[in-house]
Amino acid sequence: MINLAPLARNWRFLASALGTSLLLSALAMLLGLLVGTAVGLLRTYGPRQLGVLLALYVDSFRAMPLLVILVWTFFAFPLVVGYSLDPLWAGVIGLGLHSGAYIAEVIRAGLTSVRRGQMRAALALGMKRGQAIRTVILPQAAIRMLPPLGSQLVLVIKDSAITAVIAVPELMRQSQVLASQTFRPFEIYTTVMIVYFCLTFPVARGVDRIFRRLAPLGAS
Amino acid sequence: MTYDWSVVWEYRWLLLEGAWTTIELTVLTMALAVVGGVALAMLRMSAFAPVRTLATAFVEFFRATPLILQIYWVFYVLPAAFDVRLSAFATGLVGLSLNVSAFNSETFRAGITSIRRGQWHAALALGMTRRQVMRRVILPQAVWRVLPALASTWVSLFKDTSLVATIAVADLAYNALQIRARTYRILEVLTAMAVLYWLMGYPQAKLVDWIHRRFEVVE
Repeated sequence: MINLAPLARNWRFLASALGTSLLLSALAMLLGLLVGTAVGLLRTYGPRQLGVLLALYVDSFRAMPLLVILVWTFFAFPLVVGYSLDPLWAGVIGLGLHSGAYIAEVIRAGLTSVRRGQMRAALALGMKRGQAIRTVILPQAAIRMLPPLGSQLVLVIKDSAITAVIAVPELMRQSQVLASQTFRPFEIYTTVMIVYFCLTFPVARGVDRIFRRLAPLGAS
Repeated sequence: MTYDWSVVWEYRWLLLEGAWTTIELTVLTMALAVVGGVALAMLRMSAFAPVRTLATAFVEFFRATPLILQIYWVFYVLPAAFDVRLSAFATGLVGLSLNVSAFNSETFRAGITSIRRGQWHAALALGMTRRQVMRRVILPQAVWRVLPALASTWVSLFKDTSLVATIAVADLAYNALQIRARTYRILEVLTAMAVLYWLMGYPQAKLVDWIHRRFEVVE
């Protein structure tokens, strides 16, 4: 019944797909962190008009399915700019901007969770605003942001599978290819499911553990 | 590049039908997943250790793997391995419900355990049975506490229903992609799809923010 030979024959194919999944997740998370940190900081400390605009970005990207964002980025966006995008880069941009919206909220929540008195105290000590944010607020806020950021990383790894719809040659896509070539969907999809589990479960648990160790540092 | 937006109006009924399927799928999945989530939460608090372990494994597995893969698994593996034949819509419903049940069970479990133990002790000391304590003291409070988390799950679910387009369930995403393939008006159709999702999703996201503010627990 169960035939693992096609899997054994094609393990290199799936291993390189796994590599693409990891690369895609890492790049998307990096972009998400960059965009999210900038947006989170500007929404908390920036000018009001800009805040309204950034709020629209955050709420819109939280309101639309990732599949829609990816499909639009890959198929429609190139028609606007007249410049075609590689699937991998479309995936990184779509996934990164999507998670950036969530990360911005995490950053903002972390920054506003530090009591206002601390900012006032720092200013009273003669610090500049930027200095107070950098040396007083951020170190405390950063530790509080770690657990939700860890969950976000897990989400990005899981969501990277959705880029299969724009044919990024990552694990999900390549397992579809393999399943249709070998006619062994059961073995292939089950194995790939286990691979994803082995990838995200330790990340989720590791984040929990690091957080428990660091949590006392974030108390104020 | 010239744009021809009339194609969106021409196919408006197909798009709206798709949007209706998306809503149907969201509502039905949530209804099933609330029941499934309560059942899983109960199993995880069972006195019988193997039941607890199995329920925990189920929940952890569905939370740690991509939903799109779970949907594929249900679509390709159930018919082949267990000879279960379901329509595409039912397949999508099953896949989504299993996933959301796992997330809901965590929400319910957190809601129940968030009620301080002292309340159990106090109620038991007043002579209530465990069942009475659960029904009259714990659950009425827990229901309000899980509401914000359930609302967030709702919005995620609404967005995730688009993944069933990959197994040819005629939801908004699938219909839009079909219209795109038929008319080649890629930008117009895909933008219309994104706008429709936005029109449905944005108010929901705002409502969820409001629910979070309104029902935030302050002890």
